[in-house]
Amino acid sequence: MGSLEQNGLRTKSDGGLRPVSAGGLRPVSDGPMAADASGSGFFATRADWLVNWGRKNSLWPMPLGLSCCGIELMAMIGPKFDLARFGAEAARFTPRQCDLLIVAGTLTWKMATAARTIYDQMPDPKWVIAMGVCSSSGGMYDSYAVVQGIDSIMPVDVYVPGCPPRPDAVIDAILKLQKKIEREAPLAKLLGSGVPERDETGTGKLVFQPNHGIAKGVLDKHPHDPKGKLGLSDPQPRKTEIK
Amino acid sequence: MTSNDTRPEAGGAAGPQPDGAPAAPRWAAALSGLEYKQLVGADGMATLEVAREHLHALLAALKERAGFAMCTLVTAVDHYPKAPRFALTHQLLSLEHNERLRVRCWLREGDEHAPSCADLWPGANWSERECFDMFGIRFDAHPDLRRLLLPQGYDHHPLRKEFPHAGIEPDRLYRQWDKQRRAGWNAEEGATR
Ligand code: SF4
Repeated sequence: MGSLEQNGLRTKSDGGLRPVSAGGLRPVSDGPMAADASGSGFFATRADWLVNWGRKNSLWPMPLGLSCCGIELMAMIGPKFDLARFGAEAARFTPRQCDLLIVAGTLTWKMATAARTIYDQMPDPKWVIAMGVCSSSGGMYDSYAVVQGIDSIMPVDVYVPGCPPRPDAVIDAILKLQKKIEREAPLAKLLGSGVPERDETGTGKLVFQPNHGIAKGVLDKHPHDPKGKLGLSDPQPRKTEIK
Repeated sequence: MTSNDTRPEAGGAAGPQPDGAPAAPRWAAALSGLEYKQLVGADGMATLEVAREHLHALLAALKERAGFAMCTLVTAVDHYPKAPRFALTHQLLSLEHNERLRVRCWLREGDEHAPSCADLWPGANWSERECFDMFGIRFDAHPDLRRLLLPQGYDHHPLRKEFPHAGIEPDRLYRQWDKQRRAGWNAEEGATR
């Protein structure tokens, strides 16, 4: 264990190599040999840090450019904004080689099955960025054909607002994601340190919230008969309950 | 009702042109022997109104003999609560003569099917699929009548007027799909163990 320190992996002056604790799960220990507050030992902390360092600086994005946001995504990967500066320029067009899914655009229900398949085909560990308001919340498409936020069908790590978000905003999302990856404990199971493996803060759970969570009846007025004078009130109320 | 409304009960411009009107249109000769009514649409476009039984013969004659080589659109208009309810509309274009023509066919609710014209214009295939998707109008003898834009198995036809303004999301379908998929995986996993 001491050899890690001798190899220069951690010195007091080397601030850049210290794990970040940014309000996360893992307070950083002070002494090199001390166990941190979460109970994981020095070696586990260092090894986790090393793995995280590798992961966060070599994110391979799977670009899922579904509509207009895809254009900004291309700009982001292109030379002007240059995602290569953050180690995330190696976009692969097969989910099997990727660990970062960037959903850029309007996800329709017809496409939802394909998108979920892509997510499932990505090997663990994997992260998801919802780029643009469409994928974050359905955006301006309050429509029966559009998924109202991709967190209806997959967990999301970072949401990027904007229509479309500028490439800088998405780069910011990638930096935030890197911070998040720093707080994970990939070797927890292997080393038995008892720390949760994934940092679940802010991770969208698979929660269905149909119709934006708007109560049944609020939007059920008939478009051609909002006052109910023609008796055109809705024969098919929205199905809000999901089993 | 506006004066240029071409619905059957509106009267107006229905029927052949009276004496003194300009000469019969170019396609009149090609359509001799077929039953149809000639109208002028609200936008001034020549419109032929035809019963469902004669629709396919009329479209074939227009294509083969009157030079309408292109069917730009097949769609419908929902006139709920009037009856007949659906106006199935074919928009034709003759590149040769630089002419456009509309063919309209009224369909009653509960009996909304019509002959497909995908055999005449292959491009009408998807147009008819979209029309089926949005209005639930079935096209007889269509080679592949599936929904075009919405997921298979969705229960509603969104451009019908009874469809709620706020929409009905197909998330139930998605859940079902997800469940079936997972069941398949689990079975596979069980088999390999
Ligand atoms: S958020 Fe705006 S730019 Fe992005 S896909 Fe939606 S509509 Fe297009």
